[in-house]
Amino acid sequence: MSDYDVIVIGAGIGGLCAGALLAHQGRKVLVLEQAERVGGCCSTYELNGYRIDIGASIIEFPQVINWAFERMGTTFRKEVDLIAVDPTFTARLHDGTEITFPIDLEKTKEEIRKLAPEDVRGWEAYAKEMDGFLKAALDGFFVTPARSLWDVCKLFAKTPSLLKYGSLFFGSYEGVLRKHLKNEKLLEALSFHSFYCGLPPAILPGHFSMIPYAEHAGIYYARGGMIGIPLGFQKCGQRKGMEVRLNATVEKVLVEDRTAKAVKLSDGTVISAKVIVSDINSKTLYTEMIDQNNLSWLARAGYKSYRYSMATPMIYLCLDYAPPLKDHHTLMTVPMQQMNDYWFDQYEKGRFPAEQFGILSWTTRSDPSLAPAGHHIIAVTLAPGPYRLVGTTWDKEKETIKQNVIKYLESKYLPGLRDHIVHADFSTPVDFERRLRSPEGAIYALRQDLTNAMMFRPSAKSKQIKRLYLVGASTHPGGGVPTVTASAMIASDLIAQYES
Amino acid sequence: MKAVRIIAVIAGCLVILYATLTKSRKQFIKNLLSQAPYLIPRYFT
Repeated sequence: MSDYDVIVIGAGIGGLCAGALLAHQGRKVLVLEQAERVGGCCSTYELNGYRIDIGASIIEFPQVINWAFERMGTTFRKEVDLIAVDPTFTARLHDGTEITFPIDLEKTKEEIRKLAPEDVRGWEAYAKEMDGFLKAALDGFFVTPARSLWDVCKLFAKTPSLLKYGSLFFGSYEGVLRKHLKNEKLLEALSFHSFYCGLPPAILPGHFSMIPYAEHAGIYYARGGMIGIPLGFQKCGQRKGMEVRLNATVEKVLVEDRTAKAVKLSDGTVISAKVIVSDINSKTLYTEMIDQNNLSWLARAGYKSYRYSMATPMIYLCLDYAPPLKDHHTLMTVPMQQMNDYWFDQYEKGRFPAEQFGILSWTTRSDPSLAPAGHHIIAVTLAPGPYRLVGTTWDKEKETIKQNVIKYLESKYLPGLRDHIVHADFSTPVDFERRLRSPEGAIYALRQDLTNAMMFRPSAKSKQIKRLYLVGASTHPGGGVPTVTASAMIASDLIAQYES
Repeated sequence: MKAVRIIAVIAGCLVILYATLTKSRKQFIKNLLSQAPYLIPRYFT
């Protein structure tokens, strides 16, 4: 007799959504979270009256998240107070030029006409291709398992229109943009979105080039902080009896006869369940938390071969003035080739310069209640940060790097910044690892190129251990708030099918 | 001997084709090729 029907390891978006969906299937669910709060990368902490988002700063593809809530008889908007964000972003280019992308596509076209009149038709062609691809992808891709070649064939059979866009999967993000657009400034403005999926424009698969277009369907912020989304799933689950235990670190998944039976916590407690769902990095799960004798040698080689996704150092600035920005998201960009070169010449060689590109997320622009009256918060998402710095460590360099980056931000983007900082916190890749139990600070768990995608990404239903399921960024379809929500829907469907 | 010649011609064509690619296209292909040996073990995960 098991203690629970389902134990979920990790209360990130994927874990809580899966837990809630399984509770709604009538199962007795326990969610175990090692941290003191839920949400993982999509969470918010409080500091002296400021509510600061740890990672995710915006909601894209809200319809995917809504599907999960609809399965529980409610809606995203009923459970989470959503604030519409418009424009999608302003890009401040390396030469000081600014371009804004309003939600309205016609208005965006006018903005493009001002900056790059020669690319208006190219933008229209890009928008048309991405619109068709998105419709097909949302239908077939997001919530369909892709565990095997057969699954992938079924996926394309279910949505044959996806075949029309097959070339997107085998080209690069940069290749797709360059197919339609010629103006280097416009390309620069649209380049940084590739890092939303963890890779530079040169090597990120082309289908991700739909992201800048997809934002025009609407992007949102959760009032009170991004933790509102995981809390929404938690509330839904708790209505059906789901339990959430914080500060409970799972050390091992106990396996007998290649079947997951229980988890062992760091305090020695053993809790059994009929099904185990893991929302932690699957490489960590399989290489550190499961007895290796339960895995085939080929699978062991596979798990070891995965490369972690990039880490993103972040600076959280609490300010006593309204920063001289216009929008929720301001992208600090450099030319596309420079972003690619940064990846190969700096990031992969363990260097992290103070001259940065990234995102300024002015969260109090959308929700002033996050800070005391008249005060503001900017979360600065910096360029990918190498986990291992050459010749030094993040802990040694943390304060120096923070000050140098702030000085750079002041000189280029936020004049007078240092006179208005009430508090500045810097989260390095090592801090992310400690805080979120995310190995090497990887924010998207595993890399998201073709060799780590679909049937080549760890399977939602374990191919090695019976009654073990995966959700979160390290399984199909990958990292990001809507995609990990989709992974939870996939896992709950598979559990309904195989663990009745 | 004929087979060797055909392989050499194909390889030569591929090298010339690769040389004409842009820097970022080469980076894309290099990244895929570096990971290709792991595809079989990854399929079993």
